[in-house]
Amino acid sequence: MEENKLLEIKDLKVSFFTPAGEVKAVDGISYSLHENEVMGIVGESGSGKSVEAYSIIGLLQDPGRVVGGSITFDGENVLSYDKDQMRQFRGNKVSMIFQNPMTCLNPVYTIGNQLEEALTCHNKEISHKEARDRAIEMLTLVGISNAEKRITQYPHEFSGGMRQRAMIAMALICSPKLLIADEPTTALDVTIQAQILELMKSIQKKTGMSIVFITHNLGVVAEMCDRVSVMYAGHIVEQGDVNDIFYHPQHPYTKGLLRSMPRVDELKHERLIPIDGTPVDLLNPPKGCSFGPRCSSCMKVCLGKRPPMMNVGENGHTSACWLHVQEMKKEEEAKDNG
Amino acid sequence: MDINKKNFNLFQLNTELVPKLDEMSDSDFEPASKDEKKSMVEMRRSVSYWADAHRRFRANKVSMVALYVFIFMLLFTFVGPSLIPYNYSDQYRDELKLGPFQYSEQEQRVRSLLKDNDAVYATTLIPGSLTSISAGDYYITYKRVTYAFHIDSTLADSVIILNTAAQDPLTVVTDKALKAGKSDAKALASTSAPAEGAVKLKAITYVFPHVFGTDSVGRDLMARCMYGGRVSLIVGIIAALIVLIIGATYGAVAGLAGGVTDFIMMRIVDIIYSVPDVLIVLLLQVILKDPLQKWFDTFSSTNAFVRTLSDLGVGIVSIFITFALLYWVGMSRIIRGQVLQLKQQEYVTAANALGVPNRRIIKRHLLPNCVGQLVITTCLQIPSAIFLESFLSFLGLGVSAPMASLGSLCSDALDTITIYPYRLLFPAVILTILVLSLNLIGDGLRDALDPRLKK
Amino acid sequence: MLGYTLKRVVIAILTMLLVAVITFFLMNAVPGSPFLNEKSTPQQIANANAKYGLDKPKIVQLKNYLFGYFKGDMGVSLKMQKDTAVSKIIFGQGKFTLSIRVGVWSLILAVVVGIPLGCLAAYNRGKWVDSFLRVFTTFGVAVPGFVVAALLLIIFGVQLKWLPVLSQSLSTPSAYVMPVIALAFYPSCYIAKLTRASMLDAINQDYIRTAREKGLKTGKIIFKHALRNSLIPVVTYLGPLTAGTITGGFVVETTFGIPGLGKYFISSILARDYPIIMGTTIVLAALIIIMNLVVDVVYKVIDPRISLMKAED
Repeated sequence: MEENKLLEIKDLKVSFFTPAGEVKAVDGISYSLHENEVMGIVGESGSGKSVEAYSIIGLLQDPGRVVGGSITFDGENVLSYDKDQMRQFRGNKVSMIFQNPMTCLNPVYTIGNQLEEALTCHNKEISHKEARDRAIEMLTLVGISNAEKRITQYPHEFSGGMRQRAMIAMALICSPKLLIADEPTTALDVTIQAQILELMKSIQKKTGMSIVFITHNLGVVAEMCDRVSVMYAGHIVEQGDVNDIFYHPQHPYTKGLLRSMPRVDELKHERLIPIDGTPVDLLNPPKGCSFGPRCSSCMKVCLGKRPPMMNVGENGHTSACWLHVQEMKKEEEAKDNG
Repeated sequence: MDINKKNFNLFQLNTELVPKLDEMSDSDFEPASKDEKKSMVEMRRSVSYWADAHRRFRANKVSMVALYVFIFMLLFTFVGPSLIPYNYSDQYRDELKLGPFQYSEQEQRVRSLLKDNDAVYATTLIPGSLTSISAGDYYITYKRVTYAFHIDSTLADSVIILNTAAQDPLTVVTDKALKAGKSDAKALASTSAPAEGAVKLKAITYVFPHVFGTDSVGRDLMARCMYGGRVSLIVGIIAALIVLIIGATYGAVAGLAGGVTDFIMMRIVDIIYSVPDVLIVLLLQVILKDPLQKWFDTFSSTNAFVRTLSDLGVGIVSIFITFALLYWVGMSRIIRGQVLQLKQQEYVTAANALGVPNRRIIKRHLLPNCVGQLVITTCLQIPSAIFLESFLSFLGLGVSAPMASLGSLCSDALDTITIYPYRLLFPAVILTILVLSLNLIGDGLRDALDPRLKK
Repeated sequence: MLGYTLKRVVIAILTMLLVAVITFFLMNAVPGSPFLNEKSTPQQIANANAKYGLDKPKIVQLKNYLFGYFKGDMGVSLKMQKDTAVSKIIFGQGKFTLSIRVGVWSLILAVVVGIPLGCLAAYNRGKWVDSFLRVFTTFGVAVPGFVVAALLLIIFGVQLKWLPVLSQSLSTPSAYVMPVIALAFYPSCYIAKLTRASMLDAINQDYIRTAREKGLKTGKIIFKHALRNSLIPVVTYLGPLTAGTITGGFVVETTFGIPGLGKYFISSILARDYPIIMGTTIVLAALIIIMNLVVDVVYKVIDPRISLMKAED
């Protein structure tokens, strides 16, 4: 399935060089995304999930820098793009939508102006009228009624949910192959959340666009994604198909996340089991496995050495934990002994 | 899919981490203890808000330099005058219009005398119009030895020389004779016991230079600059304090009260804000002059406070009144904004929910957070007050003679600017340094105390 | 938009009235008749009272005063140019025009120099251009106006003799140069600082991140998206700037010997010529209030979010 790999990230490393020291926000992650596939990136704040997304689309700013690895999109090395190439790439082949729709639109220009601008900067020949029509078309597509009038309005006249729809329209106006969605529903009401997710799902099915969906909400992941990568402290700790992750989680962190989620479908009244401890200080990450201090299964080997990434199932289900090595060892010993 | 069947293939790109199974022992897989887990992480020291702000301010080189400069200026204006023998109002008749470090003719003659003698008392170097000694008993003390003498007739423009090595330690010579180069010094009989009622004369061993020069009536410019700087600073600080007290109280009350009270109070602020301030200051200057003068004249003999105010002059007091009437509005808006913000903060709601009384909430939660803004705004208010005062003094409406402020010094210097440019330069530079250093300190405080400001 | 403008005009008129009333009461708060001194005979006092209507009750005086001003009658000078109409003194003798000319030119200069310098500094943040501009503008706002004026006078007028020292009537364009630069110095430094700060602020906003994400060219991001938002605080500053230019004008006119309205105003204060003081105060206050009105309207054009009440925050 190498042929239609749309996006391939190999051993990506991103660090922030702050006055206090080097913060290794992303410390070697790898994943790949095919066409017409939705990949969910799950993790707490500070896990590095947004940072790696920013580096795909080239929005990383000082003092952050990519310090290792590669990002390949449609066969091209994105990290080697110069400024002009990057500009052509952004908003055109890959688009991004962000978390807080209230501040993402320029308050002094109309929605229409900003939509058309997204189109005309990549498509110089298009006429004013065509751009306007396309903007109206996109607004209607994302479920904004009366688009002709809305085009002339300013962002402060739109509600939060409507602004996010407008952002989606803006992101899709150039028909990108990949959409990166960085917690697009976190700042919205629950009912609006559901609507936006529905919208994204239907557009994805219609256009076959791939999505990298970043969130900390496992419920959203279950609904939207085909594959999932679970991130912690700048590493991917587990990766696989959405069903494998939810029904056969292998990594202690993933298990912990699933246990701490309130489930409507559970008939038993079980206690919510939160994950012990506090998130990692990335200026001073622990030696060995970064989840170690919070892990109930932490072993002596976890204290000093980072666990290797292991295949733990089919369909590319992988997990990085010394427990798997222990199991593997036991299997080998069992095989040897009998 | 058989969930128990796991394919343990190594999916590893970084081959360094590939473990060799035989290299790993059973003990590696024993569970880690709580302490071992804790040791994996170094906890960063948590720093208090004030300590953090303090550290940030110190790290800001520009603000630290400004702080040192300002402290130097404080010393210059408040301690300086006691270090030099001149003051701001003494007029030295023969030392007119001197340039920086320039000595007048008389001073030069005295200096050459001092090369060969121990101490000198020259009437030509005495300030004021009285440059002579009338008949009577006097004494000079030098190195703990007293030389008492008697003068029969008035000595004008003369120099009394003390030479402990000579046969007659005290001699008198006229300035005219010195000038002509003649040395008819008359000896003065001296004893070691001063007569009753003898006046002590202060003999000098060194002629202190006029570092900044003198003005057209012979006043030492550096002393006047020090004094003027003192006046400017005092005016600035008092004005800033007035603004602080009135503005902060008004703003806090409005913010806490909320509702209609707040609305009315803020509308009043809006009205005051829209009135052009400088015009009102100027008008007040005109109006208040006579009544204030009358008030001063009536009460300054009885009331020390009124006396100090009358020394400052009508102009300065008018500035204070204007500040009390108009300039506090900015501060009140800021403080009200802070209070409103803090009222909505969750820790206030939490404290309320826990039953903490309002006064305690103000003291423990609101005030410490407001203090930052208070300090910054007050600090930045001082240079603008100094600016306003120097502007008014420059136009002739601020301090009145003989009191000097840096602004009035600049104004005086304007007439002779082409001949004696340094007369404008010194007070102007001092004024600029004062305002600049205060502004920079204020900026540094703002950067240090507001953690949300991105660099 | 129209409703907003009308509201602002009404408020401006009310403020103007308020200033006029305050001025009237302030002038009348001075004990003793402003029109006479202690040596006047009772007959003179009676004449003056009748002539100036001083014997009528205060409210009537106020009414006469306000109506008079409405009609353009500002009273007559009592000391400096005896019995000449104040309106003639202010407007008819070229003083007002002179001051306006210098003031307007310096405002234009300040904006034309300040905004681009601020943008330049923000765009080159951290590099030596930025550092130099920051140091220069910090000095520029700390040096008092009269010092700048005097320094310019010494250096360019006296030492180098490039420009005329006495600008009596500002007859030649070169006579304008020094006063205008002296007057524009502080505002241009302040505007440059303000522009730089608000540009940097704007560049950190989320909508700039969106603009970058769309793939816009850097120039477009700065000039279309960042600049318009960062001009808002600068436009707000134009109100106080006018007041500052007027007061700075007093200093510049004094230093350069320009016979403008500012210099005359200061002299009238020192001479206690009340009708002139009042008339000039009203005129200057009117200028400031009108400018604030213009600023408020322009503000609304630039920023569609603004309503009547300024956001209190």
